[in-house]
This record gives sequence, C-alpha cells and structure tokens, in this order.
Amino acid sequence: MNDQLVIETKGLTKRYGDITAVDHLDLEVRRGEVFGFLGPNGAGKTTTLRMLLGLITASGGAAAVLGAAPGSVESLANTGAMIETPAFYPHLSGRSNLWVLARYAGAPESRIETVLGQVDLAGRGDDPFQTYSLGMKQRLGVAAALLKDPALLILDEPTNGLDPAGMAEMRALIRQLGHGDRTVLLSSHLMNEVEQICDRVGVIANGRMVAEGTVNQLRGDDALLVRADRLEDGQRIVAGMAGVRRVDAGNGVLRIVTEPDTRLDPAYVNQRLVSEGIGVSELRMEQASLESAFLSLTSPDHHTQNENGELATRKEVAHVR
Amino acid sequence: MFGKRFGLLSAELFLMRMRVSTWVLLGIWGTLGFFFSYVLPYFSYRGATGPEAPGAGTDLAALLPESMVETMIGGFPFYGGAIVLILGVLTIGSEFGWGTLKTLFTQRPGRGQIFAAKMGALAIMLVPFVLIIFSIGAVSSVTIALIEDATIVWPSVQELIEAWLAGWLILAVWAAAGVLLAVITRGTSLAIGIGIIYSLVIEGLVSAFANQIELLEPIVKGFLRANAYSLVRPLGGADEAAGDGPGLFTGPFVSGTQALVVLVVYLVVFLGVSVWLLRHRDVA
Repeated sequence: MNDQLVIETKGLTKRYGDITAVDHLDLEVRRGEVFGFLGPNGAGKTTTLRMLLGLITASGGAAAVLGAAPGSVESLANTGAMIETPAFYPHLSGRSNLWVLARYAGAPESRIETVLGQVDLAGRGDDPFQTYSLGMKQRLGVAAALLKDPALLILDEPTNGLDPAGMAEMRALIRQLGHGDRTVLLSSHLMNEVEQICDRVGVIANGRMVAEGTVNQLRGDDALLVRADRLEDGQRIVAGMAGVRRVDAGNGVLRIVTEPDTRLDPAYVNQRLVSEGIGVSELRMEQASLESAFLSLTSPDHHTQNENGELATRKEVAHVR
Repeated sequence: MFGKRFGLLSAELFLMRMRVSTWVLLGIWGTLGFFFSYVLPYFSYRGATGPEAPGAGTDLAALLPESMVETMIGGFPFYGGAIVLILGVLTIGSEFGWGTLKTLFTQRPGRGQIFAAKMGALAIMLVPFVLIIFSIGAVSSVTIALIEDATIVWPSVQELIEAWLAGWLILAVWAAAGVLLAVITRGTSLAIGIGIIYSLVIEGLVSAFANQIELLEPIVKGFLRANAYSLVRPLGGADEAAGDGPGLFTGPFVSGTQALVVLVVYLVVFLGVSVWLLRHRDVA
C-alpha cells in the first residue's frame, strides 16, 4: 500500500441478499486531506464507513485503513469515528461517557477535558447525555472521536440536525481538525458543506463511486451562454478571442468557457458577433456548481465533461484528478 | 497488558454500578426474599391457632439463623435465576438498543476483549448480589430469633461458603443465558420475554409433569432448573417431599457432581456462543 494513502479500497462490495449496498468501490484517501464522501441518502456511504471500521464485514474486495485490516486493533488505535447518530449511555453525563470511552480507547484521562474544550462542551460536561440537544450530542460524538488524538477521523454526516449556527461551528471545527497530518473522511449529502470543508471529493451513487477529484474538478467551469443563429460561424469567431478555452455549439446555443482567472465581457462578445452579421437573441452566465455536477453524476444516466469537453464516464473523471 | 484489561473492567464495573436497573433488580429480589422467606412464613407461624389451622405446618426453626442457608438458597434456582437473567440481558442488550456497542467496537480493543470485560464485570457484580441476599436472610432470621427469644446459632463457615459458591454459579449460568438471548435477539425486550417464558413457564411446567410422565424425566434432568436445584439440594435448598408451590421443585434430581458439571457446561456454552456471534456478526 502507498504510504500516502490512509484509506484504500479495491472492489469493496457489500451485499445484503439480493441487494448490493456497495458495489466494487475503489476509494483512495490521502494522508492529511479532508476528503468528502458525497452521495444521496441510501447511496452506500454509511455502509462503506462501517466496513472501514470493521463494524460490518465486506462481501468482497479489499480494504486497508492506516495500513491495516479494517476493524483491527492496529487501525482502530489511530482512528476516531462518529457513525450516524452519536451513541452514548443516556443516563451518564457527557464527561462520564468520555471517561468510559477513554478507558476503552486507552487514552489518558487528561484528553477528556481537552476534547470537551475543543467542542465547546466543557460547561455542560456533567449533564446527563439524555438531556443534550441534538447539536450537543453531535459535538460529544466528535469529542469522543477525538479522544485518541487520531491520525484518521471518520465523521458520518456530523452536521445532521444542527441549526445554521451549529453547522457553521461544526464545519469550522472539522476544517481546523483537518489541518496538519490528520486525515478527515467526511461523509455528507450537503453540497455546500463539502465545498467549504473538503480538499477532495468522492461521489457515490447506488453503491458505486461515480466521480473523484477536487471540488473544482467536479464542479466544472462557469460558462457564457449565447443564443445565436449561424452557430458554426459564431463558434469560429469566439474561439479566436483571447482567453477562450473552449466553445461548444448545440441546440442554438454557444457555450463559452474561458481560461481560469479570465473574464470574457458579454458585451464585447455580442458586439463582435453582431458586427459579423450573426443575430444574437440572448446572453447569460451559467454558474457552475457542485450541486448541478452532483445531480448529474448521481442521476441514472449520469455523464459529465472532461477538460476536453468530451463526455466522460466515472473512470475518466476519476483520472482527471 | 493487565493495566489495559483492568481499565476495561473498571469501565464496565462503572457502567454496571451506574445502571439503575442493576439496583432495582437487586431490590426486587431482596424484597421477594424478605417477604416470601421470612415475613409471610413468620406471620403464618404466628397466626396458627391449632394443629389444623392455616400456617400450622410452619416450623420456627426454618426462620432462625441456623436455617438461613437452606431458606435463602432455595430462591436462587427460582426467582433469583429469573432476575439475574434480566440482568444478563440488560448487560449487553441495552448496548444494542442505545447503539453504544458500535461506539465501543470502534475503540481500540477487539470484540472478544470487550465481551470479556463485560462478562468479568457481570461476574463480579453477582458477588454482592449473593452476599446481599444472604445478608437479608441473616438480618431477618436474627430479628425473628430476637422476637421469639430463640437461641442464635449460625450456619458453619463451610456451609456458608458452599452456599455462596453454589448460589453464584447458579446466578452466573442464568445471567449467561440472558446474555446469549440478548446477543441472539440484539436487544432487550424479546430476550427478556423469551427468557422469562423459558425459565418460569417452559422449564416450570415440563418439570411439574416430569414426575408423572416418565418420558419427560431425562429431558428435565438436563434443565437448568433441575440442575440448579440439585446443586443446592445438599444444602437443604430443595426437597423431594416438599408440597406444591410456585417456587418449589420436587424433582427429578441429579447428583451434585453431575449438576455442577452440567451447569459449568451451560455456562461455557452460553458464553462461547455469545462471543462467537458477537465477533462474527455485523453491527448495524
């Protein structure tokens, strides 16, 4: 296994009878990155994470976490995790729950106050877990995951149920936790969350990895859309303009993508086309978003465009990174 | 290594100590033992007005300290077993319900170690159960002896130790049965339901017919109830000549040695199957 890969799966599969929850999943998470594991509900995210933690056994394929088998003492010793809803002893206080887990994790008791402080729960640490709000429960879950000061942090939808302020705090915390050598694997179905937090993203749908790359790579480019007649002439004229990277023509529309950090003035495009006798009926900006890319990738007949403007399959997109 | 293992054990003992149900169950058993072994028999004894009157058969000697062992140990195979079966179910079944098993399984130790820590704590917790139940017997019997101005004669130390060990083993087997049911059903409700039905209804009813239907006798001799009563029989905890009653067992009995072996086998099998299932099944 590559030393830089903290998590590596090849053909990882989980079947429940006739249902394939995870289907030949190839996943690579690199040391020190915050990796977003993005997918719609029921896509197989949590099942994958459970396999990585050894909570469930794979039906096929192979996986290594921190160079060891998932769920082994070696991998768990440096992995902190919060899977789905945080699960604690309801009658015990947050602090007592952490004390129990510290005993299990072999973590020094001094870590309890440290992690309670990190998630801003020190003031409520002596209250019973069952009296906590959902946001406090989520924060205690993160605190428990941090007890071992782990090299790998696996968080499954940690902002679930939080109010906007709580979400913002949690995201800032995760971003901060992902600094340095620590690797964070963050499962989510929230686009803006992944855009804000993650260095790289893997998109899973129907148990299969459909794309993997940086947020920018998956999101694609902003484009200027021009509805015009004589598209072929228009495509030739625009392609010759400075800063234009690609021009696609179709359905009566020119789709113009510029080089990074270059802005094409729509008024200038309009003037040039009109001066060449090409009628222009509409100009508008198309804002690229992870959401549209996600919806496209997770639709049954998904496709996207690679840097050359060609339709690309999942594997090709993965190679883009 | 020992330090880490003790760390897990101390965490489990803490969890068990902090679980209200542990003390509620002990309280229920203590109350049952106090009322059914001493209070009601004593009032029955005091209320007897003649040889034919209700309660006339109650022997004061059975309520005095010298008979404490046989009076208290008789409750272990019956309601004591049912109560610790619930304790066993709760020890691990609650973890399924709360989802805390997955939290524990994502910490450092392996599943076998976690199970061992839980069983270790359960085994230790059964010690105060045994001692407290006998303490209730001691206080109750001394109180009656003082009221009746009777001589206080304590059972021998050997008899007490044998009773404690036998009592602990019986409780451990029933608790292990609860653990197995909780692991199989991955919860508490169904496990407790099945456990109570089995211990009180199935074993109870089949045992009741065993003295009349020869075919049932070898089956009953393999039951927990029959072996537990057989183990405490030398201590006076079961009597073939006893009358009918919900807590009475009149046979068939097996030898004390056979009972000991069968109970130990039950204990090993229950725990072995439980840990195997826990290690090999997915945790949702």
